[in-house]
Amino acid sequence: MKTSTAIASAALFLAALAAAFWQYRRPAPVALTPTLTGQVEYCLTCHADLPEISPAHPVETFGCVRCHGGERLALEADLAHSTMRGGRNPSDLAVVEASCGGSDCHSGSLAEERDHIQRVRTGIQATYAGAIAQIRYTFGAQPDAIARYGIYAIEAYQMTTPRAVPYLDAFDPAQESSQPVKAFGEQCLVCHLSVDALPGAPNARLTGCAACHTPTANTDLEKPVHQLTTAMPYTQCNTCHNRGNYDLSAMRFVPRNDQPADRLHDYYQPIAQFVRCEWTLDCVDCHTRHEAMGDGNLYSSKKDIQYVRCYTCHGTLDKLPLTRTISDPNDLALRMAFLTPVIDLKVGDTVIVTEKGETLWNTRQLQDGTYELFGKATGQRLTFRPVKGSACQQKPDQQESRYCHECHAVQR
Amino acid sequence: MPSNVKQFNPGSSVTRRDFIALAGKSLLTLTGLLSLGGLARFLSFQSEPAQPSEFNLGPASDYPPGSRTPIPQAQAVLINQDGKFEAISLVCTHLGCVVNSVETGYACPCHGSRFDQDGNVLNGPAKQPLQKLVLEETPDGGLTVHTK
Repeated sequence: MKTSTAIASAALFLAALAAAFWQYRRPAPVALTPTLTGQVEYCLTCHADLPEISPAHPVETFGCVRCHGGERLALEADLAHSTMRGGRNPSDLAVVEASCGGSDCHSGSLAEERDHIQRVRTGIQATYAGAIAQIRYTFGAQPDAIARYGIYAIEAYQMTTPRAVPYLDAFDPAQESSQPVKAFGEQCLVCHLSVDALPGAPNARLTGCAACHTPTANTDLEKPVHQLTTAMPYTQCNTCHNRGNYDLSAMRFVPRNDQPADRLHDYYQPIAQFVRCEWTLDCVDCHTRHEAMGDGNLYSSKKDIQYVRCYTCHGTLDKLPLTRTISDPNDLALRMAFLTPVIDLKVGDTVIVTEKGETLWNTRQLQDGTYELFGKATGQRLTFRPVKGSACQQKPDQQESRYCHECHAVQR
Repeated sequence: MPSNVKQFNPGSSVTRRDFIALAGKSLLTLTGLLSLGGLARFLSFQSEPAQPSEFNLGPASDYPPGSRTPIPQAQAVLINQDGKFEAISLVCTHLGCVVNSVETGYACPCHGSRFDQDGNVLNGPAKQPLQKLVLEETPDGGLTVHTK
């Protein structure tokens, strides 16, 4: 045997040995067959240490692939992840229908309020139509502040109010002739559901549904957070809503330069007034799912959809807050209370409702005419009484919170 | 020994050429064995066995009249109602979570659907009752439940 042949034999042997060693080191596949899909998947071979994403999405039922996509039988990371939807975030609005949709999930009927995806995609936090319309109007690119453009083109899911518009075209800064509008498009589209978060831990959030429902605020976004929640703390809302202001003269976003150290000072911007309940509670304790996720209409301004005020819970001098008694075991309020179990709501309970008919399911009227409210994220119980019958002298036509703050604002 | 053949080890009869030939053949043999091992592993691969859909529950006499016996391995409950056997799946008809037994019947821990003792929907989101499973009585008095 020639020396070269022997060297080739040695190389071949080493290659075979390396292949055998590589096979030996590879972990044994961990199989899971979720009841929802009935198809085996091997994702848990590497991801067994991930916490369950939520009690409503147990891995034994959903598995991983139903939501994330990916190659369910692959054991190589690159191959397994190659067809994942939205990278690590399947709730990104570009892919959310495939990930979270389905008539039994989040793309169901209007009647059952299971149409989250349709409402969110038309919601103003996703379209950013309000800011775009205001800027284009302010700088003379359109004659009024009615929305014409959104982050993406979309038709209304429903039109139940004359304030809504039927469709939006995609906003393209390159097509704008106004320099400030062009600059706005290039530098200020930083706070909507399809854009990545601004740098900094307080801004840390994902896109799509996870922007709100995955609590990433004040974390390192590079580290995965495998959690979905309906009990969003105010810090998650603050990743967009309390981080600073736009400077229209320079057409740029100016982050807050203070570093609030507690809930009281973190809650609102330094110049804002508010009452104690506002910083004691979390945003989602008062603001409804339609306010946050949209109601299917395409609006031109946040003012068209954000409507809950102090009087929603406290009533006015001459009217008690609106309430209704739960009589149907299929009531949406019970479904919500089940998913965020801070209140033992049941048929027969009387809860506060908004003037649009949305239930504040974390409230309940008590026997003595007062009310209780449970914090969704904190679980804290607060009791409160109506304005009617109190010493309050609020004028009937002055029901915006700024009027309440004239007497009730706290000092920082 | 020819004068131009170097000895591998002075004093030994094994020449360097012999050693290289032996080592080469040995490595080739080992490579072949490793490859055969890999081939055997490849050929002996068995995909994940299908989920069982048939469960032997033992003698019917083990389940007295009036009993409701959970069958965890089948995710079902076996009911003996005055000698008449019935098996109900405990897989929620909404999205497939396994329901828990509660005072009023069954409750889904995932999304809150509730069912009565017979599996009828008390509240959604599930719209369909819990599935009645096929129950087979064998000639020797045994019971077998089929989950598909």
